[in-house]
Amino acid sequence: MKQQECVALLLAGGQGSRLGGLTRNRAKPAVSFCGKYRIIDFSLSNCTYSNINTVGILIQYKPFLLNSYIGLGSAWDLDNPFSGVHILPPFLGDSEGRWYNGTANAVYQNYEFIDFYTPEYVIILSGDHVYKMDYNLMLQFHKEKDSEITIATIQVRNEEASRFGILTVDEDARVTKFTEKPLQPDSNLASMGVYIFNWSILKQALIEDNLDYQSENDFGKNILPQQLKQERRVYGYNFHGYWRDVGTIESYYHANMESLREGHFLNIFDPKFRVFSNEDILPPHFVGSSAEIKNSLICNGCIVHGKVTNSILAPGVYVGKEVEITDSILLPYVKVHKGSVLVKTIVGENAEIMRHCNVGSNGGTVPNQEGITVIEDYHLLPMGSIVEAGENVTRTR
Amino acid sequence: MSNAIGIIFANSGSDSLQGLALDRPLAAVPFGGRYRILDFALSSMVNSGIRTIGLVAPRQYRPLLDHLGSGKDWFLERKDGGLFILPGVMHGLAGNNHTLCIKDLQHNLEYLQKDYAENVVVSSGNQIYNINFMESLEFHKAKHADVTLIYKGNDDSSDQTNEIFLEMSEGHKVYNIIDKKSLESRIPPPSRFVNMLIIRREVLLDIVEKYSSIGCIDLIDIFSVNLEILKIYGSPTCSLIGTIRTLKDYFDRSMDLLDLGVRGKLWLGTDQIHTKIKDNPPTLYTSHAKVSNSLIASGCSISGEVINSIIFRGVIVEQGCKIENSIILPKCHIRAHAQTDYAILDKSVIVNGDNVLKGSLPNPLVVLKSTVI
Repeated sequence: MKQQECVALLLAGGQGSRLGGLTRNRAKPAVSFCGKYRIIDFSLSNCTYSNINTVGILIQYKPFLLNSYIGLGSAWDLDNPFSGVHILPPFLGDSEGRWYNGTANAVYQNYEFIDFYTPEYVIILSGDHVYKMDYNLMLQFHKEKDSEITIATIQVRNEEASRFGILTVDEDARVTKFTEKPLQPDSNLASMGVYIFNWSILKQALIEDNLDYQSENDFGKNILPQQLKQERRVYGYNFHGYWRDVGTIESYYHANMESLREGHFLNIFDPKFRVFSNEDILPPHFVGSSAEIKNSLICNGCIVHGKVTNSILAPGVYVGKEVEITDSILLPYVKVHKGSVLVKTIVGENAEIMRHCNVGSNGGTVPNQEGITVIEDYHLLPMGSIVEAGENVTRTR
Repeated sequence: MSNAIGIIFANSGSDSLQGLALDRPLAAVPFGGRYRILDFALSSMVNSGIRTIGLVAPRQYRPLLDHLGSGKDWFLERKDGGLFILPGVMHGLAGNNHTLCIKDLQHNLEYLQKDYAENVVVSSGNQIYNINFMESLEFHKAKHADVTLIYKGNDDSSDQTNEIFLEMSEGHKVYNIIDKKSLESRIPPPSRFVNMLIIRREVLLDIVEKYSSIGCIDLIDIFSVNLEILKIYGSPTCSLIGTIRTLKDYFDRSMDLLDLGVRGKLWLGTDQIHTKIKDNPPTLYTSHAKVSNSLIASGCSISGEVINSIIFRGVIVEQGCKIENSIILPKCHIRAHAQTDYAILDKSVIVNGDNVLKGSLPNPLVVLKSTVI
């Protein structure tokens, strides 16, 4: 195979359990985002624009829907003859081979894949963040600093800092300290989950980490702190732009809702850096004479006869007459029948809300998950059902 | 169903549609919010399992090739079969009435000769439909027919443009092919032929060879004089929306799309119409948007009023605008307080504020590509 300068490894194996009903049937990177996209589209499109065309996608949890979505990678122009997208599931070898046991372990088990391309650099990407980034700029920075490990960083709000891996850097951008989810963070520079390693360094680090039985084999918890301790040249590449972790119901909801604001940072409307996706073939959406759509994003194939306000309708959604959808996200192929009312609700793919249901408008005194109601994929909500705000409805079929 | 190959006459003539078909062939005229007229015939064949399709190219083929690429979006980029562009011979002959012209086939005989398929599905390239040919192919084979002509199963659509009629016996065997002039008042009323047919490849090769010395002659004309020799049958379809030959056809068929019945036939079944993918973001409706009874494509930004209209990809409708009974092609920008009524705006037209573009139902106003008003 042709040697590549840089190989990307996309971590798409986690369960994403904090997304509840949205990940009960599919891996997190396959979850719908902003209507027509899926979370993995952002990392993959970034690779396309950065000319990184060898991408290994590490999968483990419920990969079927993700795999069929990725296919050969054609939707992202990643179906090249000598490189391209490779789905990497856990496998059996002669002596080793087992389920992936942490992000670093997943990469470690696939070192042969990386060796196949004998790259100089390896870029580790998480498959569950939403952002647009040219990785070449980061690689350039990595080379300029003669860095061995570069961590992409972004400034987060002080109140949020404890959710992330936090770094402290000196004036030269060299990392002096790294703590995963610190209780008392002493900086607000968070790790974006994007790392560039010199392959030789990474290989060594993975081998050492694998021998440590106490290690959780995680990049943030083990590899990075260990390498820092060994006084490797670790630098922080400061990224300025939109980046969102969509790992919880609340953060997922807010990240989607933000895109309804005009002039939004993520700017999915930027024609120079389009986000590619493997979209279904659907006709333009139809807006009936009784429909009223305001402040919303509507995708292809939708049929709207009711009132939609401040919401996102993914491809193929049906909204019947006298329906009121407010502050909600309806995932692909959802059907909402006549007279139903939905407020601040996320409805999973292919779910069907029968007539005259009332979802999310009444809540308890202290609403669970910010009053965001979630209905799982494929669920059929019977006619006249009432669902309280903040409830999580699981599928029955 | 891969023992059939397809031929689409993408060089079907029309008038210039008042400018819409001036710089582009009819087959490449945008239709239905995100498609081009050729997509319907092409997708129908692909959905019928046909994986080898020859397109008789029109004189101005650049926009068509730009749209088709290698045929990937129609699953025709393949080792076995695929998309073939067949140069047509009717150059610069505006007003030619031959839809399925022998001379075009003669020029591209090799396409027919090198395949092993038993049957060829032939269609004109100027019709809006979503037809799965498998049923007709089964019928064709069951009857051991040489030719099966597709006719309109129900004549309830508003389109009455096709002018060749078939008279058939009980078993759907065609015993007479007549044109509109000889129609009179036949009982039962003859069926309208819709410029689509299935023919055995050997028979087609035979016909092309035998008629090679004659200049331009339409396939249907050859059939009408060979009714005794050839076994010609008829098979109905109910999924033809219409033929586009004039601007009025274009406007009327477009507006037909606002009807649920028409959309059902075209888009709501299991067979989808494929087209070039553009990776546009979803359409954004702002707080001032007021849309009713319209078809809206992706990548738009709607802040104004849109009624009974078709909006293509990437259109911006600013606040205070009123778009009514109009067709707005891709990338147009309608600035604040502009109005359109019965207008068709070609690609990338910019309408500056306060301008009013008004046509009428029998005579819609066409604004040419990239015009700034």
